[in-house]
Amino acid sequence: MLKKNRFPLILPGLCGLALIIAIPLFSADQLRPPGSRPLEAGVHALTGAHLVLSPGHELDKGNIIIRDGRITAVGVDAAVPADARVHDMSGTVIYAGFIDAQVSFSKKPGGGKDKEEDAASRFSRSLTSGAGAGMGFPGAPSIAGGSGSNSTIISQRRMSREYAPDAEALESLRAEGFTAANVVPDRGVIRGTSTFATLASGDPDEAILRPDTFQHIALAVPREQAGDGGRSPQAYPGSLMGVIAVVRQTFFDTQFQAADLAHFAANPNARPRPVVNASLEALLPAARKTMPVLFEPGSVLLVDRAMQLSRELGLQPVLLATGQEWRRPDMVRTGVPFIVPVDFPEAVKMPEEDDWVGMPTDQLRNWDQAPGNPALLRREGQEIALTTYGLGKPDRFRSNVRLAIARGLSENDAIAALTTIPAKICGVADQMGEIGPGKLAQLTVVENGRYFDEKARVRSVWIEGREFLPPIKEEPKKPDEAKKEAAKADPAKPEKPDPKKEKEALRNQLTAAPAQQDRGPLLAPKAVFIKSATIWTSGPQGRLENASLLIVDGKIKAVGNIPATGVPADAQVIDRPGIHVTPGLIDCHSHSMILGGVNEGTLPSTAMVRIADVVNSETETIHQQLAGGLTATNLLHGSANPIGGQNCVIKLRDGASPEGLKVAGAPGGIKFALGENVKQSNWGDAFRNRFPQTRMGVPAFHANRFTAAKQYAEALAKQQREGGPPVRRDLELEAISEIIRGERLIHCHSYRQDEILVFLRVMESFGVRVGTLQHILEGYKVADEIAKHGAGASCFSDWWAYKLEVYDAIPQAGSIMRERGVMVSFNSDSSDHARRMNFEAAKAVKYGGTPEDEALKFVTLNPAKQLGIDRMVGSLEVGKDGDFAVWSGHPFDTMSVCQETWIEGKQYFQIDAARRRATARQTERQALIAKAKTLAGDTEESGDKAKAQDKFFRRALEDRQGHLCIDCCLDHEMPWKN
Amino acid sequence: MEKLTALCLALLLPAGAASARTLLLKGGTVHTVSHGTLTPGDVLVRDGRIAAVAAQVDEPADQTIDLAGLHLYPGLISAATELGLVEIKGVRASVDVRETGEFTPEIESWTAVNPDSELIPVSRANGITHFVPIPAGNLISGTSGLLAARGWTIEDMTLRKRTAMHLFWPDHALRIPGPEADPSSKIKPLDEQSRARAEKVRTIDQFFNDAEAWEKRPAGSPVVPAWEAMLPVVRGEIPLMIHAQGLREIRAALKWTATHPRLRMILEGGKDAWMVAAELAQRKIPVIYSEVFTLPSQDSDAYDVQFRAPAVLQQAGVIVAIGGGLDGDNASGQRNLPYIAAQAAAFGFTPEAALASITLIPAQLHGVGDLLGSIDVGKDASLFTATGDILDIRSRVKQLWISGEEQSLATRHTRLAERYRARPKAN
Repeated sequence: MLKKNRFPLILPGLCGLALIIAIPLFSADQLRPPGSRPLEAGVHALTGAHLVLSPGHELDKGNIIIRDGRITAVGVDAAVPADARVHDMSGTVIYAGFIDAQVSFSKKPGGGKDKEEDAASRFSRSLTSGAGAGMGFPGAPSIAGGSGSNSTIISQRRMSREYAPDAEALESLRAEGFTAANVVPDRGVIRGTSTFATLASGDPDEAILRPDTFQHIALAVPREQAGDGGRSPQAYPGSLMGVIAVVRQTFFDTQFQAADLAHFAANPNARPRPVVNASLEALLPAARKTMPVLFEPGSVLLVDRAMQLSRELGLQPVLLATGQEWRRPDMVRTGVPFIVPVDFPEAVKMPEEDDWVGMPTDQLRNWDQAPGNPALLRREGQEIALTTYGLGKPDRFRSNVRLAIARGLSENDAIAALTTIPAKICGVADQMGEIGPGKLAQLTVVENGRYFDEKARVRSVWIEGREFLPPIKEEPKKPDEAKKEAAKADPAKPEKPDPKKEKEALRNQLTAAPAQQDRGPLLAPKAVFIKSATIWTSGPQGRLENASLLIVDGKIKAVGNIPATGVPADAQVIDRPGIHVTPGLIDCHSHSMILGGVNEGTLPSTAMVRIADVVNSETETIHQQLAGGLTATNLLHGSANPIGGQNCVIKLRDGASPEGLKVAGAPGGIKFALGENVKQSNWGDAFRNRFPQTRMGVPAFHANRFTAAKQYAEALAKQQREGGPPVRRDLELEAISEIIRGERLIHCHSYRQDEILVFLRVMESFGVRVGTLQHILEGYKVADEIAKHGAGASCFSDWWAYKLEVYDAIPQAGSIMRERGVMVSFNSDSSDHARRMNFEAAKAVKYGGTPEDEALKFVTLNPAKQLGIDRMVGSLEVGKDGDFAVWSGHPFDTMSVCQETWIEGKQYFQIDAARRRATARQTERQALIAKAKTLAGDTEESGDKAKAQDKFFRRALEDRQGHLCIDCCLDHEMPWKN
Repeated sequence: MEKLTALCLALLLPAGAASARTLLLKGGTVHTVSHGTLTPGDVLVRDGRIAAVAAQVDEPADQTIDLAGLHLYPGLISAATELGLVEIKGVRASVDVRETGEFTPEIESWTAVNPDSELIPVSRANGITHFVPIPAGNLISGTSGLLAARGWTIEDMTLRKRTAMHLFWPDHALRIPGPEADPSSKIKPLDEQSRARAEKVRTIDQFFNDAEAWEKRPAGSPVVPAWEAMLPVVRGEIPLMIHAQGLREIRAALKWTATHPRLRMILEGGKDAWMVAAELAQRKIPVIYSEVFTLPSQDSDAYDVQFRAPAVLQQAGVIVAIGGGLDGDNASGQRNLPYIAAQAAAFGFTPEAALASITLIPAQLHGVGDLLGSIDVGKDASLFTATGDILDIRSRVKQLWISGEEQSLATRHTRLAERYRARPKAN
C-alpha cells in the first residue's frame, strides 16, 4: 500500500513492547549525505493530553507513543520509552489527524506535466470521437473539443503524476488541522483519478499513500471559454443531458474494448486488429468496480441521477454533496457516503434597498438552508466526510463547521466526518482515522478547548510521526494595549448585548420553510364526486350538461347520470353552480421542466441524449401550468439538429421526484427537426460548417443515419447468431434502430411543405411511420399526404412571421388538417402558453370553424393519442386516470378561470390554496430578506470572502425560469441578473 | 383627356363616395365605451364621422345595415407596438425597429411603416383600426406616430405624428453569476454596477436639462434637429413615454420625472408598476401595461401576480391601457391584444376597463381622445362589428370601418386558407 516503505522492519502487527526498545535498523537511504539535515530519531511521547481516539471514544490525560512514523502505544499508562523525545501535551486535545477527502490543488494548465497530459488527451481524442457520437460528423467538433487540457474525457489523467502542491497550500490545510488529503482532478467530465497523500512537506512522491483513489466524474458541462486553446462552445457535449450520455457511452465503450481485446487475444490472426484507447483502458478499474467513482452531481436532482447511472453501469459510487440537499431530502437516501463541502454562501450587502427586489427567493432560501445540509444528510442516515472543497482558502472551515453544528450536526458526527469516515471512503482506514497502535502517527493537536470551540486553535499536526507547527503569526499585543482593551471591557459597566453574538445566533437558526412544505397533493381522497357540472368528456359521450363524474382510487368509475347510491359516503364532493369540467389538458410540445439545457445542439444527431435524464421536478413552472388546467406534458429536446434527443412524457404531479413525474407506460419518443434551425440559418456567422447547411442536406443526413442504424442492427443480429468479434454498443444508432423497429415515436419539428413531404418519404423508405409533425406550420398545404402517411400534427394555434419559414403559417392550419383527416393537437412550446391551452384551442373555433368539442380535443384526447397515452388519459371515460380540470365557466370563455386541477384523483391545484400558498411564501421571503439584510457583508475579511459572497448569487440549476422562447433552436443563455 | 378624367373620377368615386354618404348601423349591441352599452342601439355615420348614437336613430341613410345579433365596438387601438416596422422578425432586412445611438429624439416612427405589410390586415381583421409603432432604442429613441390600419401611403395612414417622445429607461438589474458560471468571467463589483446605472440616469437628466436650456436660446440660432425635436416634450405638449419594467427602473423614473414637473410621463411595460400603484395614481401617471402574460418574477410570487396587476392598478386609481409589449413577436401577435385585456378581466380588472384599455385610453394617451376610442357623436367612424364580446376568443369580427370606409377583412391567412381548402384531394 505504501508507495515507498521507509521503515521496512516495523510492521504494524509487530508493534509490541518488545520492539519498542529494539534499535531500528537504518537502511542505506536513511543515512543522508553530509550537508543534509540528518534524520531525527523518530521516537516521541506525547503525554498528558485529552485523547479523542475515535468518535465517542475518549481518554483523559493519555499518552501517545510514536516510533518511526507509527503509533506504537496509546493509554493513560503507556510507558514513555527511554529514547523518546517527550512532549508535554497537557491542556491539549488530540484527535486522529484530520483527512480531507476532496482537495484540489488546481494549477493553470501548461505546467511541465500537463504537456505530457495534452499529448495523451490528443491521442485519446482521436479515438474517443466515437464515444457518444457514433461517428465524427463533418463540421462537428468531436467529443474532446478544443485542446487536450480542456477535453471532456480524460480518465487517464492521474493526480499521482501531478502531485506537487506548493508549500502555502499545504500549510493552510495543516493550519485547519488536516494531515492527509485526497487530491482530485478538476476539469473535464470524466476527469481522471485522485491520489491520496499526507500533507507533509517534502518529496511529493513520498507523501502519496494511494496513487489512485477514485475515478472522478462531474455531471456538468465543461465551461471553459473558447479561444486560446479553450473548449469550443460548439463542442459535444454542450448540455447536461449530453454529459450524461457521454458518461453512459464511455462506460459501454470501456466494456466493449475489454471484450474486444479479449476476443483478439483468442483470435490474433483472424480478425481486424483492435484499436486501443488509453482513456478507456484507464476506466477499466472503475467499470469493474475495483475503483470507486466519485460523482460531482452539482444539483440534488442529479444525485439521484448519479445513483441510477451507477446501477445501470455497475459502478461503486461516492458522492460529492451539492449544497442543494435541502431541496429534496428524500433524494439523498442513497446508502453511499457523501463528501460534504461547507462552502456556505454569505449574504451580500446590496448597493440599494430596492436591489433586494431582484434577489430570487430561491437563492435566499439556499443561503439560509445551506448550513443545515450536513446535519440533514446525517438525519437521512448517510455517512459524511467534511471537506474544505469550494472554500478557496480553507480558513473558514472551522467556523463553517461550527455553523453546521449549530444547525444540528452532532460533534461526534463532525469528528467522524474528519477522521474515520474519510479514512474509510478513501480506503486508508487501516492506516489512519483513529488513534491506536499500528496506525500511522497522524494527529491533530488542539489547544484552548476542543476543535469546534470558538476560541480553540490548532497547535500542531503530526504527519507520519513528524510534527508540523503552524507559521508564526503576528506578535501578541503589547502589554499597554492589552491594558486599554481590558479597561474598555470594564466589568463594572453593565454588559451590553454583543451584536456579533446576536448575529451569530440569528445565522444559527433556520428561517426558511421546508422546501417541500407547500408542494404535493392538496387532497388525496379515496373518491371524488362531481355532483353536477357541464362535463366535456372528449370521449364518445361528448359534452354532458348537468352531469356527474365519479373517481375512485384515482380512476374514473362513472360519467354521466350517477345514482346517489353509487357514490362512496366518504367521497370528496365538488358541487358549485355553473362549473365546467374537462379532461386535464395535455401539451404535446414543452421544454419547461428540463435541467441544464434544452438542446444538445452540437452534433447533427444526438439520438443518444435523453430528456429523461434531466427532468426538473423543482421548477415553479409546474405549479403555474397546473393553474391553467394542464396535467400532462411532453418534454422535448430542442430543434437544433436533424436528429435530436429522446423525449420524456410527464404528469405534473407537483412535489414528486423526476422519476415520480414520468408517465409509466408512455412509449419512447425522439425529437427530430427540419428547416432553418437545423441548417443553422439563424445561429450567426460562426455556424457555417456543420452538415447540413441546406434543406437538401437534411434528407441526406436522415437517410445516412437510418442506413447506419439498419447496418448496426444487422451487425448485432449477426454477432448474436454467428459469434465473432463483439459489436460496440452505440447509443445513437440503438435509438434510431428502435425507431425503425416501431418502438420509438418521432416528433419532428417541421415547417415548410417541401421538407415535410420529403421527410415523410425518407421515413417511409425505411418503413417508419412518423409519430407527430411538430409545429407543422405549412401542414395544411399537404394535409392529405400527412393523413395518408398517418402522422399526427401538433401545431401552434396562431404563431407566424417570426422567421421566414413561418410566413405562410395560418391560424386555420389545425382546422384544415383536421378536416382532411389528420389527428391534430395544439402545443405550447412555451412555459407561458402552457398555462392557457384552453384558449389556444378556442382559436381553432374562431379561425378555423372547428366545433368546440373537437377543438377541446386538440389539447386533451388528440395529444394523448399522439403520445400513445390515450388508454390512460385524454378523455373522461370509465377506466381512465382521474385527471381533470374544473373551470368557473365555459373553458373557452376568456372570463373563465381554472379553479381546480386533479391528477389521478388527487388535487394538485386549487385557486384559494394557491393564494394562501403565495401569501405564506411572501411572508417567508420578507423574513429571509430581513435576515439577509441584517447579516449581509458582516463577517470578517478572512479566507475567500468574495467566493462565499459569489455563492449567494449563484442560481441553482433547478431555479431556471421556464422556457419562454417559442421555437428557439439554441438556448440563449441570458445574462443572469439580480 | 376628358375620357381619362372621367375614368379617374370613376375610380376615385367609390372611395370618396363612401365617406360622403351616410351609413346607418341599426340594431346592434353598441359598446360606446364612453357612456355604456346600448342594447340595442343605432349609430349614424356621416362623412366618415359619427353623426348620431341613440337607442333609435330614424334618419334616412344612403346605406342601412342591420346589426341584429351583432356587437358594435369602436376600433381597437394598439397603444405601443412594433407593428408596421417589422415584417419577419427573424429576417434582419425586414426589421426597422431599433435605431442605434442613445439620443435620437428626431427619429419618427411613422416614417418607416410599410403600408403593404401583411401584418397590418391580420391585425385589422381582429378589430384593430389604429396602432402606434414605437421607435425602440437605447435611451431617448424618438417619437411615435398614430396610424390607421389602412391607406395607400404612409401619409394616408398617419393620423398624428409625434404623439409621444420615447425614453427607454436603463436597466437597473445587477449582473450576477449564473448557475454554472464560468469562474473566469468577469462580473463587475456590485457597487461599481450601482454607480454605472446612477451615471446613466444622470446622463438622461443632463440631456433634458440641455433641452430645456435650448428652449431659451435667442431666435435665429442655428437649428439642431435633435434639440428641436425635444421642445414639445420638455414643454409638456406631448407626453414622455418611459419604457420600464422592474421596480427599480420604475422608481428611478418616477424619482427623476418628479424633478422635471413639466414632463407628462406615461409608463409603458410596467411589470412591477402595481407595487407603486398609489404613487402612480397620485401623480396621475397612466400605465400601458404589457406584462399580463409574463411569467412571475419570483417563485414566491402568486401564479396570477401578472394577471392581477391591471386590477391592482385600476383599484388604486391608475389609468390603465393594455399593450402587447415591445419584444418577442408582438407585431405578428397583435390580433391577440383583446385577449390580453381579457385575461386581466378574468382576474379582477373590470370588463369595462378592459375594453377601454384597448380603445379610449390609448386614444387619450396619444392625444386623439377627441377623435378615436369611443362611439360618440363627432368622433371618427372607426368601428367594427363582432359576433360576440370582443374579449372572447370565439367572437368573430364581421365588418370593420375606418373613418367610415368599410375595410376588407381578408388577410394573407384567409387567402392561404381558402386556396388550400380548395386543393383537390391528393391521391
